[in-house]
Amino acid sequence: MNTTSMRWRSLAWVLPAMVLLLVFVYYPIVENLRLSLFSWNAFSVRPTFVGLDNYRTAFGDPIFWRALRNNTVFAIVSLICQVGFALVLAAVLEEFVHQRLRGILRTIYFIPAVISITVAGILFSFLYNPQIGLVNRLLGAVGLESWQHSWLGEPGTAMGSIIAMSQWQSIGYTAILFVVAIQRIPSEMHEAAKVDGAGAVRRFFAVTVPMVREMTTLITILTISGAFLVFNEVMVMTAGGPSNSSQVLGTWLYRNAFLNDDMGYASAIATVIFVITLAVGALQIVVSRRRRIEW
Amino acid sequence: MKHTTRSAPLVVLGAVTAVALAACGAPGTAGAGSKQNSQSLSSPAQKSGTLTMVTKFADPKYAPYFQGVAKAYEQANPKVTIKLEQVGDQPYKDKIRVLSASKQLPDIYFSWAGDFANKFVRAGLAADLTSVIGPDTEWGKTFSPAALKAFETNGKNFGVPIDLDAKYLAYNKTAFAKAGVNGVPSTLEDLLGACDKLKAAGYTPIALGNQYGWPAIHYMTQLNAYNVPPATLAKDYNPATGEFTDPGYTKAVDQFKDIITRCSSKDDNGVSHEAGQANFINGKAAMHYLESVEFQVLTAKGGAPKALADNWDFMRLPAPQGAAGDTGALTGAPDGFMVNAQSKNAALAVDFLKFMTDQQNAAKLTADIGWLSPVKGSATASNSFPQLQAALTDISKASQFAIWLDTVTNAEVANAYLSGIEGVIDGSKSSKDVITGVQQAAAKAKKQVG
Repeated sequence: MNTTSMRWRSLAWVLPAMVLLLVFVYYPIVENLRLSLFSWNAFSVRPTFVGLDNYRTAFGDPIFWRALRNNTVFAIVSLICQVGFALVLAAVLEEFVHQRLRGILRTIYFIPAVISITVAGILFSFLYNPQIGLVNRLLGAVGLESWQHSWLGEPGTAMGSIIAMSQWQSIGYTAILFVVAIQRIPSEMHEAAKVDGAGAVRRFFAVTVPMVREMTTLITILTISGAFLVFNEVMVMTAGGPSNSSQVLGTWLYRNAFLNDDMGYASAIATVIFVITLAVGALQIVVSRRRRIEW
Repeated sequence: MKHTTRSAPLVVLGAVTAVALAACGAPGTAGAGSKQNSQSLSSPAQKSGTLTMVTKFADPKYAPYFQGVAKAYEQANPKVTIKLEQVGDQPYKDKIRVLSASKQLPDIYFSWAGDFANKFVRAGLAADLTSVIGPDTEWGKTFSPAALKAFETNGKNFGVPIDLDAKYLAYNKTAFAKAGVNGVPSTLEDLLGACDKLKAAGYTPIALGNQYGWPAIHYMTQLNAYNVPPATLAKDYNPATGEFTDPGYTKAVDQFKDIITRCSSKDDNGVSHEAGQANFINGKAAMHYLESVEFQVLTAKGGAPKALADNWDFMRLPAPQGAAGDTGALTGAPDGFMVNAQSKNAALAVDFLKFMTDQQNAAKLTADIGWLSPVKGSATASNSFPQLQAALTDISKASQFAIWLDTVTNAEVANAYLSGIEGVIDGSKSSKDVITGVQQAAAKAKKQVG
C-alpha cells in the first residue's frame, strides 16, 4: 500500500469524528463569537451589527462582575474541598481505615455524586428552609438562634449555601478518584519511607502528594472548569436570586438569552466563559508537559 | 503531487468548515419581514392535514386535558393529525424562543398575555385573528370581553384565550374567627390590622414563598394598579414610552413593605411558593395569595385537609384608602393560544381552536382540571365548586385585568422589579432603590425598542 492510499485511508477513519467536532464544537464556537457582535433576539426581524458593544456592556454591568466573582469564589472553595480535603480523605481511607469499613465508607462518600442535581437541589432547599429546615432547627437546638438565616433567601448567604451543597455532592467523587491514584503507588515506596522513620503525615507529603500529582492536576483543571460552567445548582436553588446575589456567568447568560431577550449580550458572556475555560485548558497542557514521575 | 496529497485533508476540512459556516446567515434573518399568509381563516370545507402545537401544560395534572381534546378532534376529523408537544412552564420560555429564532414555530403555540404576546405580534409571527374572533364575530361573542381584550394589540385580536386566571387572597375562616377578625378587610389598612391580630393569635398572617421572585411581583401588579392612574400605567408599561415617575409606584412598594413587615416575613425569599402554600393548607398561616387556577389544591378533591377544605373563602387584595388608580382592577389574565402567521394550515388551526373552546370542551376544562374558562356559561354547579363559581362572578365584575407585571412589561423592567422587590423583602433595598432601578431599566428598554 503506497503512502497516498494510506493517508486517504487514515483520513476516512478520522473524518466522522472531525465532522462531528466541526459541527457540534467548532462551528458553535465560531458562530457564538460572530453572534456576540450583533444586537439581536429570538424575535429580531433585523439584527444590528454593534461591534464590541456587548463586551462593553458586560464590563460595565455590575451583575456580570458579581457573577464572575461568584464563579471565582466557587472555584476557590471547590479547589480547597474537592482537591485538598478530598485528597486528605482518600489518604486517610487508604492509610487508617480497615479494609471492610473502607468499602462501606467509599460507597457512603460516593452516593451524593449519583444523586441528580435537581433532586439534591430540592433536598437542600428543604434543609435550608428558614421555618422547617434542618439547618435552622439544629442551630436552634444547640442554642445558636442568632446564627439562623433564610439561607437561600438572603443575599449574604445564598451563594455560600449553594457552594456548600455542591461540595457535599462532589467531594466523594473526587476522593474516589484520589483513592484510585493512591492505590497505584507502589507499596515499596511507603515501606521504604517507613524504614527511614517517616510517620504518616511525612509519608503523605513526601510520597502520596508527589505520586498523585497527575491526578491532582486533572482534578484541579476539572474543578476549575466546572466552577466556571456551573449552572444547574444555582437554577434549581435560587435561579440567581435574591436580588441577583447568586448569579453566576451561566445563569446570567441564560437570563439574558431567554428571559431578557438579549441574545447578543448572552453570546458575549458565553465568549467570556469560553476564554476562561480555554485558559484553564491551556494551563492543563502546560502543566502536563512537565516531567512525569515514572516507576 | 506530494504537495497536493499532503494538503488534501486540509482541503476536505476547509470544505466542511465552509459548508458549516455557510449554513449561518445573520441571526434571525431567515424569512425576516415575511408577512402573514393571505389565506382565509374561516373553517375549511375539507379538513385534512397535520397541525403542530406546542403548549406549556406538561404538568401531569393538566396535560391529559389537551391530549384528550386533540384526540377528540382527530376522531371527528380522521384526515387531520395533531402533533401536540407539551413542555413545562419555564422550559417553554426557552423552547418558543428557539423555535422563533429558527423560524420553526408550530401552527399553534401558547402565549401569556401582555408584552410576551406582543413580541410575536411585533415580529410578524402571530396571525391576525380579528376576522374570526373579534368581539363582534360569532366565535368572539362566546368569550368574556375582558379575556378577548387581553390579547388585543392596536385594536386587532391576536390570541384565543384558553383559561381565566385571577389572583385572590384566600383566607382560613377558622383562623379569622380565632383571632377575632370580624368580617373581610375592606381596605389595605384593615388588612394590616387583621394581620396584627392574627400574629397575636399565633398565626403567620400571610403565607408567602418568594424563592423564584414572581409571587411578590403579583402583589406589585395589584398595588401598582391601585396606586397609579390607568392611563399612566398603560404609558409606563409600554416599553416605548415607559418612565415610572408617578409617585404611585413608590407608594405601591411602600405598601408591599408594610405587608411583609406586618403580615409575612423577611425570610420569604428562601421559601418556595409551594412550601408557603403548604403553610396555609396545614393551618399554620391564615391567608395566602394565589391564582384561581390553584383553587383546587384547597379543596378535599385537591388533597387539602378537611379543616381547611370546609373553611376557606377568598377576597381580592384590598385597595389602600384614597388610592389614585383603578380599585376595580384585578390582577390576572387569561392564557391563550396564538396561530403562526406563516402557517399553511392557519384555517385548520383556527378550526381546532374553535373546537377546543366550544361550550362542551370549555365545561370539560373546568370539570377536569378545575380551571375557569373564558367561554361564557362554562362553569356550572355540576362541573365546579362554589369558590370557583364565585371567582368567575367576581372576575366578571372587574373593571379590567391588571396583567402580570412580569409579562406585561418589557423584560428589563420586569427584572428590575423582580430583583428590587426581593431586596425589599430581605430589607436590603428601600422603595426608592427599587423605583430608581425600574426607571433605569425603563430607559434602557426605551432605547432597545427605539
